[in-house]
Amino acid sequence: MFDITVNGVKHQVDVVPEMPLLWVLRDELGITSPKYGCGIAQCGACTVQVDGAAVRSCQARMADIAGKAIITIEAVGNGKLHPVQEAWIEHQVPQCGYCQTGQIMQAISLLKSNPKPTDEDINEVMSGNLCRCGTYERIRAAIHTAAEKIGGN
Amino acid sequence: MRITLIALTFASSSIFALMGMVLAKDGAKDTLPPGSVSSAEGLQAWKRIEAVVTHPRCANCHVDAKAIPIWTPAGESKPRVHGMNIHGGESRIGAETIPCSTCHVTSTTPNDPAPAPLHAGIDWQLAPVEFIWFGKSGAEICAQLKDPERNGGRDAAGLLEHLRHDASLSGFIPRAWAPGAGRTTPPGTFEDHVKDMALWGAAGQPCPD
Repeated sequence: MFDITVNGVKHQVDVVPEMPLLWVLRDELGITSPKYGCGIAQCGACTVQVDGAAVRSCQARMADIAGKAIITIEAVGNGKLHPVQEAWIEHQVPQCGYCQTGQIMQAISLLKSNPKPTDEDINEVMSGNLCRCGTYERIRAAIHTAAEKIGGN
Repeated sequence: MRITLIALTFASSSIFALMGMVLAKDGAKDTLPPGSVSSAEGLQAWKRIEAVVTHPRCANCHVDAKAIPIWTPAGESKPRVHGMNIHGGESRIGAETIPCSTCHVTSTTPNDPAPAPLHAGIDWQLAPVEFIWFGKSGAEICAQLKDPERNGGRDAAGLLEHLRHDASLSGFIPRAWAPGAGRTTPPGTFEDHVKDMALWGAAGQPCPD
């Protein structure tokens, strides 16, 4: 039995120690925003925050993250839309949408460490998040808009 | 946040250094009396060490100040740069852009089969910039390894302590021989490597010309 706090809510889960966080979130807790894309940290669709840092949840084992605070996209805005989510809507970024929760979680992490990223900064940080629909131009534009929104607050 | 991450890197390095002092006795057990091994035997040991440290599993993260890790994908022998535009930055842990630990999570569990990312009990990172192995000759690496200015201030006994300390944390060095199915490993075993380092050290750390 492991303790885990997801989006501010404490849970106890009875799973094997090696179970990836992605499975715990989706199958044990019913939180399906982190997506299974590749299972080997090559696509970024499963990105969540662990103690404030973006992590590929397909790689994080339950035994290693027990007791840590997990945030998924459901809680990034504290009851309203996060500026990154607002920018995503303004730019109509998603096409199929499958990768977009991972993209947004990674973008939030980027803006925490680098509030005014250049295009190059964005390319460096977001290159591990793949989008088969090719929405990269809109992702980059939305991140710049979100940076302005956060900087203006 | 960026400054915090970099500060945490140095703080964790200090903690590891303190733990290393505590674990120094383990390394001392491996040490052989200085001069008890001939120079010829020491050079033979070095050739085996060289085969280990030039293996992609060991050399690919010992890169220069550009801090771009190298990949040797399973089933291939030709090195290529790490995908996804990754570089470790001055912090060597990717704190300036995307931390290595985003994908290479810190875990003592066994490595998964290739191509899943490798992990270790130590936060994933590049070796310090002065420890360049990738693209260097055996003679160049030998000179670096024996130079305290470029090996973390270690003498021969200190290098053995480093191996044992890393192993105590399920770190990168012993995991070179347990990289997950589908990946090649350096020759021998971790224990063989410790013995060879002890032989080389007792012989006065001889290097090839």
